[in-house]
Amino acid sequence: MFDRNEDLKLVRRCKRGEEAAFAELLGRYRNAIYGLCFRMTRRAEDARDLAQEVFIKVFSLLDRFDETYAFSSWIFRIATNHCIDHLRRNRMRFLSLDGFTGPDGEPMDLPLPDDGPGPDRLLERSEAMERLEEVVADLPPHYKVIILLRHDQDLSYEDIAVVLDLPLGTVKARIHRARAMIQQMLQARSYEI
Amino acid sequence: MKTAMQQPAPPECRQACDRMQDYLDQTLPKRESLAVFLHVRECGACRVQLETLQALYARLGEMPPIEAPADFDARILAAVPYENYRAMAPLRSPRVPVLLEQESLPAWLRSRSVRLVGLFAAAAALTAAASGVAAGTAAWTVAGVGCLPELSVRLQNLTRRVYVATVHRSIPR
Ligand SMILES: [Zn+2]
Repeated sequence: MFDRNEDLKLVRRCKRGEEAAFAELLGRYRNAIYGLCFRMTRRAEDARDLAQEVFIKVFSLLDRFDETYAFSSWIFRIATNHCIDHLRRNRMRFLSLDGFTGPDGEPMDLPLPDDGPGPDRLLERSEAMERLEEVVADLPPHYKVIILLRHDQDLSYEDIAVVLDLPLGTVKARIHRARAMIQQMLQARSYEI
Repeated sequence: MKTAMQQPAPPECRQACDRMQDYLDQTLPKRESLAVFLHVRECGACRVQLETLQALYARLGEMPPIEAPADFDARILAAVPYENYRAMAPLRSPRVPVLLEQESLPAWLRSRSVRLVGLFAAAAALTAAASGVAAGTAAWTVAGVGCLPELSVRLQNLTRRVYVATVHRSIPR
């Protein structure tokens, strides 16, 4: 999906300080990274801040980018870590404010209040898609991210293994588990697929 | 919607369900893939499960693309340390001994036309010698001198490449 060689050429031009190369690299990944952050958080405000921080980090650390990896793997890795950290911090904040726990005494993932309608595209979605997105959004972060990388970003299992720095077997097992969870959650909420 | 997990499933069904996602991902070995295919043809419950999973795969792949807001780029591009990158660019190119720098050879020697004319002269001298028009020693001298610019440039290139690949790489940065 992302052309590794073209990316590498752009990265090298960036390292020479060419402003146009940064803009082009940003243009290639803008929607993918913003989309990932949005679907991870479901808040347009947070998604914008997170995605911008990801790019700022990437662009200031380009010198440390190891060219034996694909640039796409590197930026997705930084983005997923950033989103998961954010969700964890947020949960901690909510927990310390309200001390919410689930029925089994486990800390519960609180649905965060939504601020605003988000991207325009969301208004056009069918009801079924909205429910599916709702269920995906409610997955635990480590499962959610893997579903998004596979189905939304179209990364192969091998690429996901690189992005998440996990063995291929773990990636497969986790994505299988995530799909089963989605199926169960849809069923529990009496949603049709 | 049914899930296979709730059924007190016979072992064939459990096995088919365990393999179903690999089946849809097309990562199963042929033999096992065929076994799933044959099982769901016979077993209604597993067929329903497969169709449900298939629909889920399709739906997940149809999540609408999301576009970043219009004002997204400005903050990022304003934060890039362009000057640092520009300042660091020369440091990043590999350092080689002075003799291996291109500039250590005189510019006229490196010029494309001189190198080309030299090669032509060499070729002409050798042709002349071969056809008996020119004396052997004189022809060989012209050929040698003619090839010199091209040879020296190439030799320097090669040495520099070998240096960067071996010595330079082993110097910790
Ligand atoms: Zn069956």
